[in-house]
Amino acid sequence: MARYMERTNGLLRVLRTNYVASQDEIKQYNWRSVLQTYGYLSPSEMETIQYNSRAVLEYVMLGKENEASLINSITRSRENARAVQDHITKEMWHNLNAYYLLIREPSIRQTIQSGDPITALDALIRHSLLLYGTIDITMSRGEAYSFLNVGRFVERAIIITDVSDIKLKEVNYRLDDELTLPSLRYLLYSLSGYEVYLKTSRGIMTPDTIMKQVLYDESFVHSILYCMSHISRYFKRLEGQSIPESFAHLDFLIGKAYNNLKYSTCDLKGGVSIGALLNQTRSDLYNIAIAFNKHYFGYN
Amino acid sequence: MTIPKILESYNPQEDIWDELMGEDGVRPIYEQFVRSIEGISHEEMEGKDDLAKKLFMTQGITFTVYSDREGVEKIFPFDIIPRVISSEEWSVIETGIKQRLKALNIFLKDIYHQQFIIKDGIIPLKLIYSCPLFLREMMYVDVPFDIYSHIAGIDLVRDADGSFYVLEDNLRTPSGVSYMLENRSMTVRIFPDLIPKNNVRSVIEYPSFLLKNLLGLANRQTSNPTVVLLTPGVYNSAYFEHTTLARLMGIELVERRDLVVENHHVYMKTTAGLKKVDVIYRRVDDDFMDPLVFRPDSILGVPGIYWAYRKGNVAIVNAMGNGVADDKVVYAYVPEMIRYYLNEEPILKNVPTYALDVPENRSMVFANMDKMVIKKTNESGGYGMLIGNKASEEEMETYKKAILEDPRSFIAQPIINLSTSPCYIDGKMQPRRVDLRPFALYGPDGISIVPGGLTRVALKEGSLVVNSSQGGGSKDTWVLGS
Repeated sequence: MARYMERTNGLLRVLRTNYVASQDEIKQYNWRSVLQTYGYLSPSEMETIQYNSRAVLEYVMLGKENEASLINSITRSRENARAVQDHITKEMWHNLNAYYLLIREPSIRQTIQSGDPITALDALIRHSLLLYGTIDITMSRGEAYSFLNVGRFVERAIIITDVSDIKLKEVNYRLDDELTLPSLRYLLYSLSGYEVYLKTSRGIMTPDTIMKQVLYDESFVHSILYCMSHISRYFKRLEGQSIPESFAHLDFLIGKAYNNLKYSTCDLKGGVSIGALLNQTRSDLYNIAIAFNKHYFGYN
Repeated sequence: MTIPKILESYNPQEDIWDELMGEDGVRPIYEQFVRSIEGISHEEMEGKDDLAKKLFMTQGITFTVYSDREGVEKIFPFDIIPRVISSEEWSVIETGIKQRLKALNIFLKDIYHQQFIIKDGIIPLKLIYSCPLFLREMMYVDVPFDIYSHIAGIDLVRDADGSFYVLEDNLRTPSGVSYMLENRSMTVRIFPDLIPKNNVRSVIEYPSFLLKNLLGLANRQTSNPTVVLLTPGVYNSAYFEHTTLARLMGIELVERRDLVVENHHVYMKTTAGLKKVDVIYRRVDDDFMDPLVFRPDSILGVPGIYWAYRKGNVAIVNAMGNGVADDKVVYAYVPEMIRYYLNEEPILKNVPTYALDVPENRSMVFANMDKMVIKKTNESGGYGMLIGNKASEEEMETYKKAILEDPRSFIAQPIINLSTSPCYIDGKMQPRRVDLRPFALYGPDGISIVPGGLTRVALKEGSLVVNSSQGGGSKDTWVLGS
């Protein structure tokens, strides 16, 4: 549930940023990398819509046939929440249900098809934030809250690796090209990190300092290392409620992933090296998620 | 192209250049835009107009009017129809502004150092020394890279023949750039997809260009200079702009109480102690900058900052004393400056300007007052202005009296028939007068101008005054790619 919730929030921010970018460019904006990450279209199907912002938004946000779409994520999150209503607060359930109803409103589709898509995206982002606020204010800091947060930060870290990969793909992993900076600036926008970057780096835009913030800055809430340390923090709270072997296995995987990232020898000036680190990190995160499913949720 | 329904009631006036309609109908640069909106119903247009108002409200995009009894903050009226400029027109504007700004900066250096332009008899000595904005304290002060006006907002208008004239060179603390940026983001919301379809050039790089220039002015051997934006505070009319720019550049927004001068260095108070400041982008006027040197009653400036600046320990943007170059009488000499310093013919024209301390000019202006605009030389924002054809006999007499008492403080210019641009007002398209303020940035690497600017509109029918403080509004400015 928490992973789906985080995914919707991350996806909404990615779409908003890319949509704004598409409106501010003279050349036609290509949505291919977004479609590759958040969809299952064949190359030929992709070609038909990759320059059409509204069609892309409709497919990624409202496409029921698209497993990775926003509407499917919200629906699944709600289904999961319905199944664990005894562990979550009534307010949280109400909010999630309202979120589900909101995305199904005809006005959202209409706004995306023919109105101002940012209005629709903003309404959904606002609701997503309302949900976070509700969780923060109403949930007790017990087992369920820890699970929610582990899921939330696992998903956030995966989203960061995906979004970074999208932007690196746009420049063919070449960080020495001058066209890199606009793409990386939009990466920061997608992660709500542009202002943080300006404050800490005095506005001097260099690919390696941008990537350093995205990968390693532990005070930036959308850096991978921040997420990793929070996965570890919330997971450790579950120790008392865990089977020792399960806890030990997960603890090892989380520690390994954290150290793989923190002590990596990645060359921040080289896109290929960063790409490899992102792949490694994503793989570590998936392993954590799979182990969680196996040891804590009984999936095989 | 044929006139679409939405423009059927659009009625440009004779003898005025209309940005949208020429003699042969819709001008080619507007065709794509007009095609895009011709299918939009009246209800949809109303919806877009409402959306714009709502967005300005919710995003807090406001300005402050000092004398308004209703409240301090007001929403800057925004017209949803963009003003379009072709790439060829922009090319002339861009080169013309660069030429002008270069000459004006050389003039400022000259006037505060050797004063060759006075010695060579191009500009009268009396004119400079009688200018209240000429700061004797700036004599022989060396400013970084000899740049005085790092940020200029040059006001341009179009006369009936379609040619651009410079109306004012704002070289002190020109404002409005945040509205240029906000107007663009509003257009993205109101007319989705139209900007890429119309091949409109981006203005988003302005804060990056400005920050790069500011960082370039730091003379300390550091890779991480401290740059701050000094604001007079929350009650200043442009406070929204100050906060926006500081946020977009990631620099600290400071007020007088946040800065302190010690041993001729400027420091910022932080929670971790004092931090040395290298560059100050100040939005405080010269007179108020340092109570120890200028106005002693100033509570906006920082005591001791002048000497820190004079010793080169801090860079101030824009430099102090620039007002002498945008004094309305000195303005008349800018074409001569361009010829004198650059040995080039001016690309952009000046509006004919008559200094009223010259008796012949005075009698000519008094005889033709109904055809003239009379302006106080050191007022801005549309204050201290008399428009002859709109003024009553009584107002004219008051001005005559004031001019005779202090002729140096007034100039007269013929009334320029500012061009009109389509605006969506009261549910229909109507022509309204506009001007244009592009923002030029002069840094160590040269002059850069983002393709666009602030188009200000006189929203009242028949009005020529576009200033926000006088009931004007603004609209997005589209410079088309080639």
